[in-house]
Amino acid sequence: MGKRSKDKRDLYYRKAKEQGYRARSAFKLLQLNEQYHFLDDPNLKRVVDLCAAPGSWSQVLSRKLFVDNKSEDDSGKKIIAVDLQPMSPIDNVTCLQADITHPKTFNKILELFGNEKAQFVCSDGAPDVTGLHDLDEYVQQQLIMSALQLTTCILEKGGVFIAKIFRGRDIDLLYSQLGFLFKKIICAKPRSSRGTSLEAFIVCLDYCPPKDWVPKLDLNKSVTEFFEGCNIKEIHNNSIITKWYEEDRDIVDFMTCGSLDAYDSDATY
Amino acid sequence: MQELNHVGPSLCVKFHKEFVYAAYGPYLQQYNYKTSELLNQCLIFKENKVHGFDISADGKNVIAYGARSVSILSLESINTSKSLVDREQLVEEWVITGTFSKLGDKVFLLTCYNRVIICDLKCNVIGIKSVPEEKSILYSGSIEVLSEDRVYVNAGTVIGGVIVWDLFCESILHTLQGHEGSIFYVTSSDDGKYIASCSDDRSIILWDMETGEQLSTGWGHTARIWNLKFYDNNTQLISVSEDCTCRTWAIETLNSDEINLVQKNIYEVHQIKNVWGLDVCNSEMIAVTAGNDGRIKLVDLLQATRYGNENELFSLGDISSSANVEFSKDELIKGFEWFSFGAVVHTSSGQLVTYNRQSFSWSPIALSENMESYSISGGIQSKNTVVFSNNKNDIILIRFNSKGQLIKLAKHTLEYLAKVTNTMIKDIDDDTFLITLESPNPKDPFVCLIIQNDTYDVNAEHRFSKPSNFVSASLELYGNYLLVGARYSSLGIFDLDDNHRTPVVIRKISAGDTTTSVKFIEKQLNIPIFSITNRDGFYDFISINFDIITNDNKNFYDIIHQNKVAKGFLEGAYFNDKNEYIVYGFKSTLFYIFNETNSYELASQVCGGSHRQWKLCDDGLNKILLYNKGSNIYFRRISQNFTPEVLRNGLHGREIRDISILKEKTYKNGYLFCTASEDTTVRLSHFNNLNGTITNYWLERQHVSGLQRCKFINDEFMVTCSAREELFLWHINNESLDRAYIAVRQSLPTSTENPDLRIMDFDVKFLESKKDFILTSVYSDSVIKVWYYNFASNSFILLMEGKYQTCCIFNVSLEILNNKLLLIITPTDGHVIVYNITNCIPFEVVPGNDYLRDNKLEIVLSLLPNHDVKFPVHQSSIKTICTFVDKTDNSVTLYTGGDDNGLAIVKLNVENSTDKIVGKVVCFEKKAAASTITSVNLFNNNTKLLTASVDQIVRIWDVCGDKLVQEQRKYTTTADTGVADIVRLDNGSDIALIGGVGLSIWKL
Ligand SMILES: C[S@@+](CC[C@H](N)C(=O)[O-])C[C@H]1O[C@@H](n2cnc3c(N)ncnc32)[C@H](O)[C@@H]1O
Repeated sequence: MGKRSKDKRDLYYRKAKEQGYRARSAFKLLQLNEQYHFLDDPNLKRVVDLCAAPGSWSQVLSRKLFVDNKSEDDSGKKIIAVDLQPMSPIDNVTCLQADITHPKTFNKILELFGNEKAQFVCSDGAPDVTGLHDLDEYVQQQLIMSALQLTTCILEKGGVFIAKIFRGRDIDLLYSQLGFLFKKIICAKPRSSRGTSLEAFIVCLDYCPPKDWVPKLDLNKSVTEFFEGCNIKEIHNNSIITKWYEEDRDIVDFMTCGSLDAYDSDATY
Repeated sequence: MQELNHVGPSLCVKFHKEFVYAAYGPYLQQYNYKTSELLNQCLIFKENKVHGFDISADGKNVIAYGARSVSILSLESINTSKSLVDREQLVEEWVITGTFSKLGDKVFLLTCYNRVIICDLKCNVIGIKSVPEEKSILYSGSIEVLSEDRVYVNAGTVIGGVIVWDLFCESILHTLQGHEGSIFYVTSSDDGKYIASCSDDRSIILWDMETGEQLSTGWGHTARIWNLKFYDNNTQLISVSEDCTCRTWAIETLNSDEINLVQKNIYEVHQIKNVWGLDVCNSEMIAVTAGNDGRIKLVDLLQATRYGNENELFSLGDISSSANVEFSKDELIKGFEWFSFGAVVHTSSGQLVTYNRQSFSWSPIALSENMESYSISGGIQSKNTVVFSNNKNDIILIRFNSKGQLIKLAKHTLEYLAKVTNTMIKDIDDDTFLITLESPNPKDPFVCLIIQNDTYDVNAEHRFSKPSNFVSASLELYGNYLLVGARYSSLGIFDLDDNHRTPVVIRKISAGDTTTSVKFIEKQLNIPIFSITNRDGFYDFISINFDIITNDNKNFYDIIHQNKVAKGFLEGAYFNDKNEYIVYGFKSTLFYIFNETNSYELASQVCGGSHRQWKLCDDGLNKILLYNKGSNIYFRRISQNFTPEVLRNGLHGREIRDISILKEKTYKNGYLFCTASEDTTVRLSHFNNLNGTITNYWLERQHVSGLQRCKFINDEFMVTCSAREELFLWHINNESLDRAYIAVRQSLPTSTENPDLRIMDFDVKFLESKKDFILTSVYSDSVIKVWYYNFASNSFILLMEGKYQTCCIFNVSLEILNNKLLLIITPTDGHVIVYNITNCIPFEVVPGNDYLRDNKLEIVLSLLPNHDVKFPVHQSSIKTICTFVDKTDNSVTLYTGGDDNGLAIVKLNVENSTDKIVGKVVCFEKKAAASTITSVNLFNNNTKLLTASVDQIVRIWDVCGDKLVQEQRKYTTTADTGVADIVRLDNGSDIALIGGVGLSIWKL
């Protein structure tokens, strides 16, 4: 009983249906874009959508790139969508079924892109929740680190990275780490994301990696090793185990996205 | 800030000698599992939880790990120190598991990227091992140390597979594919024969370590499985799952090469979903489990077989050969009683046999009477007496001696009754007992015979006019009053001193049908309290004032407590020697005994369907359950548990959403407090303000949806609210020192038959009487309502209704300022909105006071007026508010915490010249926390503010002069930190309760 009546009342769910989106999540990306306009840039050509199934973000990207920002020559445009789950096809989107934490996945994406860089990478990934808060947060952060690893290999200087986060205990650690790679970091909450959930999005603007660091993918290296030398995970005393130390933490600006008259997702259930 | 006590998730438990060690938050605890005594608690990590630990084979050292922290410590230091945090080390990667080498001089740490770090006991890295190209992240893993140089790693990946690799060769032995979904646990048997894994897909797979072949799959759990362990010389497996159960599995070899996992037993162990820790003590055959609910549970794996005499079964054939009696072919067992010598059994043809528990033998009882038409109505153990009755109005009394031989028989007949259908027995004193008899004819009296025990003569005969619609079912005697539990959830009260007095009946005590037991519990101010159970699962505590008892006045009784068991039928209840309420009954074919106070099952027994005959008797220290199936009789001894049932009681299975301390009155060295949880329950508990010890009283199940708020609105009322428009007004009774009682007095009317809105918050303002009040409720669809609660009529009357906009309203507050009644709301749009509702309610503000006066104005329904002020404070939702009215400068100060990490001080004033309400933000701290602020609480005469936030930091701010100055910050182990409440003790110190996934008690 509860479930059905809930759906009926969920305005975003209805709106998604009306506008042909596969999931209500589409409005999260749209509201983020309302604030930051990263998808309105006419120079946006190549984008990667990580953890994309069932595909509503890819739909938004496809419409933005190939309908709203349509140009004479769209041949250089490319959207790649990756997920563990299979996805039904979307116009102008190349779908890849793979685990984004597996280094081999990156090779495949790099192959698809050739030598060109992307301007925008997003990840709406969320692991299955176990209920053990620190484990869930950690797996979520690992997903972000994996997405970030790919991003550093593929994003052009000045590019944008956005990812879903859960604002739990160690979120300020992540903020601090991202600060080494981007000029501006904001924690953004679209109004379509429920106020009662810890979900938010990290918006990383103006990609700017440390000068002396060249990201290099190596199948035998873990994410930690990958980021060695880029400061974001400094290895203390050159040892993999060290005495406990206070890690850098940073609180970033918080921004609500979507206009005030947008639907309130908490009002719907 | 000092932590006094903490209840929360426990992730790992292990037996070692006569102890259980438990990872409890950031602590390691040492318990004596035979006494449940907590011997020591040692802080291991500053912030991380201890996820697991290993004890070296020689019992000297321990490696503890959790998230990226590790620590190698001597067991001795863990047993004796309070804190070893200065030994904490950080690993660059998340640690999945840690194990000692065979000699115990090295440790192996498996990290989430499938690498193993080898280090010495000082955490110096000796080597790092991994296998090529397998660096995707792990959810689980184990390291099997078979010898000094044979070490295998079982790595459980996120998608379906287990990678088994040789640590020193750095080569993959097997990639075990078979599960669907993440591997949540993988372990090997210590003889190196098997690997067992469990997963998302609810199955357990047993693999051949040698060949990597899938041997068998165990299905049974109805949800994800979290942990596994081989035990009993690797012949059995034990598992714990999200379905709250722990199950045992036998590894059975069918023929030489076919191996099967066969499910053996199911134990209900935890309150909800997340059961993480598991270990088995092989020598004692007990298991220990731990979970998110903070409970550490012991499970007797031999519960029904430990002493060998738990289960006795006799068929009529067995009895026939032992007693040397003949039974007819279709003879059945009709009734039984248990005495100190053994059992008395009555068959369908009227034969009587006794069982001698010493000699295990049966003997016939020779009787002159033909007992075929009779059945057993009951027995009195202390008097070795059985009472039989038939529908021809005959009663037979039989006495046995201590050897089970018949020594006396008497017969009485009550000719004036049409037909006796219901007979019950109750002991009175050494010399007498009583029998009640009831006929289905409404004109017949309800009869009570007082029997002289030595002669079996009728001392007195009471005939009462029978109340209408009355079918008796259970009995209690209190002084000269007979209390008879009956069908339709009623209780009849009969005065044995005055047979002509019309019996008084209390009807519809709860929603269920038959009253299955009535029991005197205690006296409060000379008024007795009875516990009443109902077959449909309800139980009530009812106080009865016999001095003013009449049928016309309903005030002679009061239901002071009401609740419903989690599931199943309820047959009876009692308090055990630890003052815990124990209930028993049936869940379909299963008989259960359940500790209701701390909510766990004590014992269960599968026995017969709905036509079962059964009897639960005391047998010295133990209980004995007698039941029959057809021509078999079963004696099931339910012994006092071999070990304590729990080492630590938990609180809630899911997040605590609100906490309220009953601050007006101390209670037994501390305070009563209530917790409202996402798991839909409300708990009434007590904490000791010296050491923070928590005692649970009740787990209330009236709400059907996840809770939002709970608050004591004064010293006798509490209000709770939740989704589905549920709002309950509870009455607290804390007169007794044994326990407090709590009962729903009224619920708020809902807007529709099938409501699905959430009531987000409420506030109240009392009238002068201190019993009546107005209550405002705010809803998830932006609706605001104001009600009048009238105590005398016990009703809520709607006074005002309106809507803010379309967004959800998180908080509401009613404040009196300058003789105006203000209604303040904070919705998800981050604004503060103030309504002046002074003229919309039929009560008057009393100048200079904080209550309203009833001047007998007409009660009419009004509309919510336009708001007086509205201004933005936060970027998005205001999650929490607290208020302070300053009478000296006529202002309301509002402290608000937001989803935007911000903390604000807002001031509301009444402008003198215009009499208008004005409001402004006087201080805003943008980065007051790293994540959502979920609770703000004023304390220390409103000079300090405590904030709790999802980043798990509790902060104390000085708020003097409307500034926010952070004074202290401290990490709390309670994840998803959501709520706090603070009480000031007489000695001037403050105690804070901080809730989330668990509860911490702090001295500020
Ligand atoms: C919230 S959904 C994404 C919704 C999507 N943005 C849309 O708008 O339709 C999260 C997705 O993350 C995916 N995911 C989780 N872990 C992953 C991993 N390791 N690799 C790839 N995808 C993953 C899940 O399969 C799931 O489809």
